[in-house]
Amino acid sequence: MLQRFLDPTVLSGISGLDLIARTVVDGFIAGLHKSPDFGFSQEFAEYRMYNPGDDLRHVDWNVFARTERMYLKRYRGETNCQLTILLDASRSMKFTSHKIDKLEYARFLTASIAYLASLQRDAAGLVIFDDEVKSFVPPSTRQGQLARLLHAVEKAEVGSRTDFSKPFRHVQEFLHRRGLIVCISDFWENPEEVVKTIAPLRFHGNEVVLFHVLDPEEIRPKLRAPALFEDMESGDTLEVSPDYTAKEYPAKIDAHLEAMRSKAKGAGLDYHLIDTSKPLDAALREYLAIRGGRM
Amino acid sequence: MGFFAPWFLAGMAAVGLPIWVHLLKRHKTDPKLFPSLMFFEQREQSSVRHRRLEYLLLFALRTAMILLLALLFANPFIRRTPSLADGKKLVVVAVDRSFSMRSADRLTKAKDEAQKILGSLKPGDQAQVIALSGNVQALTQVVSDPAELRAAVASIEPGDGRSSFGELSRYLRSLMDAQKMRLEVHLVSDMQKSSMPPGFVDLRLNPGTSMVFHSVGGDAKNWAVENVTAPRRVYDPKRVKLQATVSGHMSPAAKKTVTLFLNGRELQSKQVDVPENGRAQAEFLTLDAPYGFSKGEIRIDSNDALSGDDHFYFSVERTDPRKVLFVDDGRKPRAQLYFRTAIDSTGDGAFQVEGQTAESAAAIADLSKYAFVVLSDVGTIPGGLANSLNRFVNSGGSLLISLGPASAVQPRVPVLDEAIESSNYATRAGDRFLSVTDLDAGHPALRSVDKFSQVKFYQTVKVNPMHSRVLAKLNDGSPLVLERSVGEGKVLAIASTFDNVSNDLPLHPAWVPFVSQSALYLGGGGAEQPVNLAVDSYVELRSGSAQSSGSAAEVLDPDGKRVLSLEEAVKANNFAVNREGFFEIKTAAGRRSLVAAHADRRESDLLPMEQETLDLWKGTGSAEDPAQSGGRTGDDEKRPWSLWPYILLLLLLVAVAESVVANGYLRPVVPDRQGLRREAA
Repeated sequence: MLQRFLDPTVLSGISGLDLIARTVVDGFIAGLHKSPDFGFSQEFAEYRMYNPGDDLRHVDWNVFARTERMYLKRYRGETNCQLTILLDASRSMKFTSHKIDKLEYARFLTASIAYLASLQRDAAGLVIFDDEVKSFVPPSTRQGQLARLLHAVEKAEVGSRTDFSKPFRHVQEFLHRRGLIVCISDFWENPEEVVKTIAPLRFHGNEVVLFHVLDPEEIRPKLRAPALFEDMESGDTLEVSPDYTAKEYPAKIDAHLEAMRSKAKGAGLDYHLIDTSKPLDAALREYLAIRGGRM
Repeated sequence: MGFFAPWFLAGMAAVGLPIWVHLLKRHKTDPKLFPSLMFFEQREQSSVRHRRLEYLLLFALRTAMILLLALLFANPFIRRTPSLADGKKLVVVAVDRSFSMRSADRLTKAKDEAQKILGSLKPGDQAQVIALSGNVQALTQVVSDPAELRAAVASIEPGDGRSSFGELSRYLRSLMDAQKMRLEVHLVSDMQKSSMPPGFVDLRLNPGTSMVFHSVGGDAKNWAVENVTAPRRVYDPKRVKLQATVSGHMSPAAKKTVTLFLNGRELQSKQVDVPENGRAQAEFLTLDAPYGFSKGEIRIDSNDALSGDDHFYFSVERTDPRKVLFVDDGRKPRAQLYFRTAIDSTGDGAFQVEGQTAESAAAIADLSKYAFVVLSDVGTIPGGLANSLNRFVNSGGSLLISLGPASAVQPRVPVLDEAIESSNYATRAGDRFLSVTDLDAGHPALRSVDKFSQVKFYQTVKVNPMHSRVLAKLNDGSPLVLERSVGEGKVLAIASTFDNVSNDLPLHPAWVPFVSQSALYLGGGGAEQPVNLAVDSYVELRSGSAQSSGSAAEVLDPDGKRVLSLEEAVKANNFAVNREGFFEIKTAAGRRSLVAAHADRRESDLLPMEQETLDLWKGTGSAEDPAQSGGRTGDDEKRPWSLWPYILLLLLLVAVAESVVANGYLRPVVPDRQGLRREAA
């Protein structure tokens, strides 16, 4: 029953991001309750070699007594990490061909991931950007962090055009601890440029996930008559024929998406294309898979 | 509409509208927002394609709609010959059973002739038998059963109506339009010239109609009682004047005895000399009629073939003079004096004036015993009298009101229910008096009042006529005489008094005719109808007002049988007297009368039509011989055949197709919810 609430058009009827996030995540988890791969108990997870700087409270002293080696005993519930969500709020994110636009979808996704992270006691942070950083909530596990995140997401408004270089440099200055970085954007840029800008985040040991949010109309535009198209970010106009959108555009956008995927993979980034007409669970599953793999 | 029809073709210019919508309008579309144009390229081909028509099917349908709409308004037609069933013909046997066919054995001969015609039909021939009297009566459907046709002819009885060949031609035209067959019409009649319509054009037949005349006429010599002028009511048997007109048709000079019968009893006889083809009058000056309705009859001894017109029925009602209630306030006795004198001076003594003050009149519970009531400048009317007057008028009574200084202070005229605006005084400084400028001289109450314009009115009451009809106006434009029907009755009001203070009307020669005519008009009560009628005339049973719609009327025919069904009794407005004799009528308003019906005396003229006229009539239906049909050409036989029903049907189909096609183009893309759920699961 709760699966219904993963549908973005249904979610758009719910007011309040916290309620949306709870609805999505509860519904999502309820749909996964038989899965053997995931769980959030105090169940033993692994031993790991002690590295300087690790918290001594997690050292298994019994093993040290027997082996004179220091191991850290870790439990699933304690495998917390630092999550930073980068949300693109450029003007192109406002595009939609159906009930909800890309920014709205990205808001739902951000809220759901943030809620999921708060359930796992992960330190979640948020960066909202267009051509510069518009809002920044540092990662934290403090009480009320979820509310701060959701408030920031709710206040996110479309700005101007996308420029990855400036905000990403800015983000690197804030990220001192390795963790998981989720970047949600429509990536209307040259894939090479995108990956080149984002890849440095990976060098600090971060896991980087790219959620490429696109409207179905952007992938396969439906045009019956010649029309005048206006670029939402630059304001340029161009006459477009249905013939072009039917034949040449699909090939170009497919090539672009493939380039994004291959370049991201090549740079060790996780890439996931999300259709805004599809439910949110695919993106959440991707997040959890990566989150699980980091334990 | 027909005159402007070609101009509607100009509406075809509206074809430009779909062209503009489909071609030009495309250039002015608003820019469509798109996230990024990084994968779009400027193409010349786009602009070229832009100017080509899109949605060709939709465009064609819309253009067709406009063209059809313009054509529809232009109402095009084609000329074509009416499709008559090839080779098939319908034999119509028309038998005249009008009053003149009672002469000798004309009807018997006519029926024999009709049977002969039916005997000559071939098996399978379609035929119909109709009878001519006051109207055309179809005695059978279009059938091929000889037995049914013969039985119909045998059942024909003589009637009292007047045959009309114009009615017959109209029936034949509509029959051909309905049956789409050639008509072979056998008219079996005495071919009276008086049955011809006023215009020959009314005899016109449709092409394809062949007329065969079977004349059964005989001796045309005939005397008849053409008319009787008798008073409707007899108040004094010694003061009656009854005139009977005897006419001769195709007859030599003769001496005729005219006898007056009343209720079957012979009263008087007179000898008249009727000249050759001429008329003579007999006059009876007494009529000893008993009280109530009496059946009168004038007979002559003619010994001619048509004995039916040797008598003439009439009805009279012996009654006492009817009382007229004259109500005033007792302060202006001269008004009553003048009115009473005028009533008494009328010849037949039909009315007697009874004077009452308003207070004493209020005690009279039932006013129906009065012929009518006069309210002579009564100021405040007691409530009881006002109610009695309203009841009296609504149930068919009549009221004559004179307005003066006393009634001018009231807000409204009683019963007439019109607002009183002011009282006018013609002062010495102004015109000194008002006079009548507009007069409805055709109205029964003012018919003989020829010198009304010389009357001087010094004081009048100005009434605002919202619902009433103004019969006379003064020179300042204010109404002087008003009339209004209230319920079944009527109210006549004069905006001045009956004394010689407010005007000099009672001293004027117009006074007596005005009072006597008004009394005759009002005294009849309701719509008075003549008591002597020709057969096929109508008698009014109810005036159609709401008050009498629920009550039943009643008609007893000469045999004393009820004629109306229960439904007709409560609903019918009229009744057609269909035979000679005395009909007892009770109208919905409860008034009883005895109506004498007599055959139309044009039937007494047995002179037949000339052969030349018959040939001309026959020629109107002949399509084969243009010379016979008066030089008609083939084009005349073709009739305009309008195409608008077909265009309208086509337009509807195109409109439906346009809706379907346009809906297909414009249908929004609905997300596949089932697919979403599948993926979510």
